[in-house]
Amino acid sequence: MWVDKYRPKRFTDLVGDESVHRAALAWLKEWDQCVFKKRPNAGSKRKRDARAGEDSQNDGFTRPPDEWGRPHEKILLLSGPPGLGKTTLAHVVAAQAGYSVLEINASDARTGNIIDERIKPTLEAGQCLNKKKPVLIVVDEVDGATGENSTSFVAKLIQLTIDGKRKRLKPGEKRNPKEKQPLLRPIICICNDLWASSISKLRSIARIVQFRVPVPTQLVKRLRDICDIEGLKAESRALTLLANVAKSDFRGCLNTLQMIHTRRQEVTEVIVRNATVGMKEAETTTQAVWNDIFIPLSKKRIKDMGMIDEDSQKYVNRLARMVEASGTMDKVMTGCFAHYASLHHTDPSWKRYLRAQKWLTTFDLFSSTMRTEQEYAVLQYMPYMVVPMYSIFADSANPKVGNPRADWECHVKAKACEEIYKSLSGCVVADHGRHTASFRHLLSKEIVVAEFAPILNRIISPPLRPVNSQVIRPQEKAMLKKLVDVMVSLELRFVQEKSEDGQLMYRLDPPLDVCITYEGKRSSDIPPPRYAVRHMVAAAIEDEYAARQADAVEKNQGRKVSSFFGRQKADEGQLGRREAPEAASKKAETKAPETEKQPVDFFGRPIIKRKQPEPVKDAAVPAPPLKKVKVTYKHNEGASAAVRKPIKMHALL
Amino acid sequence: MSLWVDKYRPRTLDDLHYHPDLSQRLKSLAATGDFPHMLFYGPSGAGKKTRIACTLRQLFGTGAEKIKIDQRVFMTPSKRKLDVNIVQSNYHIEITPSDVGIYDRVVIQEILKEIAQTQQVDLNAKQRFKVVIINEADSLTRDAQAALRRTMEKYMSNMRLILCANSTSKLIAPIKSRCLLMRVAAPDDEEMLAVLEHVAKKEKFHLPEEAATGIINDAQGNLRKALLVLEALKMQSPDLTSNITIAKPDWETYCSKVADMIVREQSPDKVLEVRAKLYELLAHCIPPTTILKTIAYCVAEKSDEAIRADIMHWAAIYEVRMRIGSKKIFHLEAWVVKVMSLTKHHYHGISLSDDE
Repeated sequence: MWVDKYRPKRFTDLVGDESVHRAALAWLKEWDQCVFKKRPNAGSKRKRDARAGEDSQNDGFTRPPDEWGRPHEKILLLSGPPGLGKTTLAHVVAAQAGYSVLEINASDARTGNIIDERIKPTLEAGQCLNKKKPVLIVVDEVDGATGENSTSFVAKLIQLTIDGKRKRLKPGEKRNPKEKQPLLRPIICICNDLWASSISKLRSIARIVQFRVPVPTQLVKRLRDICDIEGLKAESRALTLLANVAKSDFRGCLNTLQMIHTRRQEVTEVIVRNATVGMKEAETTTQAVWNDIFIPLSKKRIKDMGMIDEDSQKYVNRLARMVEASGTMDKVMTGCFAHYASLHHTDPSWKRYLRAQKWLTTFDLFSSTMRTEQEYAVLQYMPYMVVPMYSIFADSANPKVGNPRADWECHVKAKACEEIYKSLSGCVVADHGRHTASFRHLLSKEIVVAEFAPILNRIISPPLRPVNSQVIRPQEKAMLKKLVDVMVSLELRFVQEKSEDGQLMYRLDPPLDVCITYEGKRSSDIPPPRYAVRHMVAAAIEDEYAARQADAVEKNQGRKVSSFFGRQKADEGQLGRREAPEAASKKAETKAPETEKQPVDFFGRPIIKRKQPEPVKDAAVPAPPLKKVKVTYKHNEGASAAVRKPIKMHALL
Repeated sequence: MSLWVDKYRPRTLDDLHYHPDLSQRLKSLAATGDFPHMLFYGPSGAGKKTRIACTLRQLFGTGAEKIKIDQRVFMTPSKRKLDVNIVQSNYHIEITPSDVGIYDRVVIQEILKEIAQTQQVDLNAKQRFKVVIINEADSLTRDAQAALRRTMEKYMSNMRLILCANSTSKLIAPIKSRCLLMRVAAPDDEEMLAVLEHVAKKEKFHLPEEAATGIINDAQGNLRKALLVLEALKMQSPDLTSNITIAKPDWETYCSKVADMIVREQSPDKVLEVRAKLYELLAHCIPPTTILKTIAYCVAEKSDEAIRADIMHWAAIYEVRMRIGSKKIFHLEAWVVKVMSLTKHHYHGISLSDDE
């Protein structure tokens, strides 16, 4: 194969964007200090590294981060379309820098296990079997790695790069062999789609080097050299066409040339055109699809795509293929929707718009139904619903369209808004224990959004004057009290914040006022928030919260203790002994108003209180005798730690 | 403490202010011990949930008011996780399956099976069955309704269903026939007035007649809204003087602005402007069907008599499509374009018949 025959062996042989190659090599060179224990060159970037490198000769392990002299990003991520030489680059720079390569690619199973079984041992050994050179790991096609959760390949790969927290060793102490070893050898990952979801986490920790499609001239030059060596007569124009059609896919070009070479001794445009019939529908970006839908092909594009004029008139199959190849049909259609009204048009009767709308809604109906019914057989017909946009709107005067953002922005905003409403119902949920059976209507989202929230906003913005709460008028005082009550019961607060221009302001939390703010303007019948008023309200709310909290703590303690004694009393009562009358009477007091039900024991049998008359008599005159009794209580007694807990005396009395 | 609408919500069947015959009927049903499956239906804010809560209390006593809220995770067959809020007491469980959209069947099946297969363990419970309340039953998918059918009969001994819906038209006939239908009509003006005055009396203020009629007219039979509005008014102008204005919810005002734009000028640029406004409404989580409905009413009001019917006709069609489809904005705008072209053609006196 020519592809192998003419694969670059040395760094200087590489074709394409030199800066990319240099970036990759530079990254690898940063490892030198760690791998080869070299001192960095005199003109090195970081002195700190230099010191670290020096020390690493004595003992490499007890130093602050980057003690091993590694680059900050421990993984290099090469990305770009196929055939540009990413894998080749990885191998070439590895050879150049003096590594031997361990390659993991799609032919291997790429589960989390492979990391444990193959990569880790190699990394720990530092070199491949039977080889002197240190190892460099190349993970090819990393975006195809499987698994989503913590055991996935990518997750484990990232784990590798994270150094375990190591303690400083005391002199003479031995390191636990099972402890996690730091990553001491470089890893290069290669992917086609940088934005694949499976490698999203990898993106944030790796150094990313992106391949761009090179200018065809470089490619053509190299192709010509190869043709000369192989004795293939080639026209420049044919080679340019080939490079264009292949979108600079070097591998594809070489394969095509070799195929031509098996049958002929020369390369012409026609031959290339015939040979590349299937190639041109390689991947297309969504952007390109929109442009092709809204703008008819230019003469130059027709030529580039290797078509003749008659072909260019037939658009249905061409566009359908493109739409399908782009793989983002929904996005294409959303883009059409976003742009159709802003296109060049003269349509007084609106027929075109009506037609376009019909196709748009039909597309949506089909795609939604397809998803819900899971009838994916329909998928193959879907592109044909996008194609009519061409016949309706295509015009050479149309501008090139960009990515539509409105839809996504709306989606994001709606999500944020939903969160706010959710947090409101969350407050309600949290509140439920106290106000039983109320707030039920808040669990229905529609009512909250359409009815409750707008009116609530009006309820919580009364026309208060910013005056000291001491000198406030009684009428306003009542209003303030009511406002605080409402806000506390719904767990709304005012939170102090600094706005962008450094001014202090109070923000409603959760920010329910979004629902009365449209296009950034507040509704006119609601007074604008005033700092002083909100300050006053916020203070009152905090007071209320503090009071309630204190209340709740008191109550809780009281209840816990009394139930503990109550339990004891019930048991003792059944044994027929009688003790701790104070506690019992207290219990009778507290229990009675709380629930009218008869107390039941664990199995649901009613407890018959035998000692009832005595405590009741006590309870009738509770205050005087209680004060005289001196209660002693040893609070750290008992077998179980569960009940050992400091409590205040008055919780008992 | 808290909002009036919650504070003065009746807790028992005896406390209910209107529909005394309905309360009487519920009471006797709860007393017989032969309690059927029930379907409460009626407009929003008529008091369905209040009546359900009262019925539960009648059935089980105060224990039914001790509520806790759980969040449970369900798994669809395609391994998708669904979070559902569940309100429950010892005696009943309350779910809103429409929260999870098309996956409501999974939730229904799991919950009902779980309840149906466990007996009431509390020996002191007044009834031997548990009650499952399904809110927004009219937005259940067909699958979910079908899942209900057999379970309703089979597990009658352990479980009763109470469905709560705005209208019965979206429920399949087999469900309707298995339930006792309870219509909770919206209160009429006098009944609303009585409730408002009751609240005013409890809050110790005088409710002027004009304010009351204003509120009642605005609420259109929605008592919850009426009480909320009353409280808002009281907060904003404490004396409730004669010249009060009842503010519409902001989204409604915004919708009428959109309607104005549609009627005033029809051009592609306006389509884009309207679209921006529709996006704004959607971003505020206003349900798209509500948006379409509100705007359609406003537009129809402002348009010429001759095309009103058409406007509503297309609104209905696009609403159906919107419910099936997933990109709501497509259908909203399709309707806008349709209406704009209708208006335009009507204005220029061109018939549209050839286009259809």
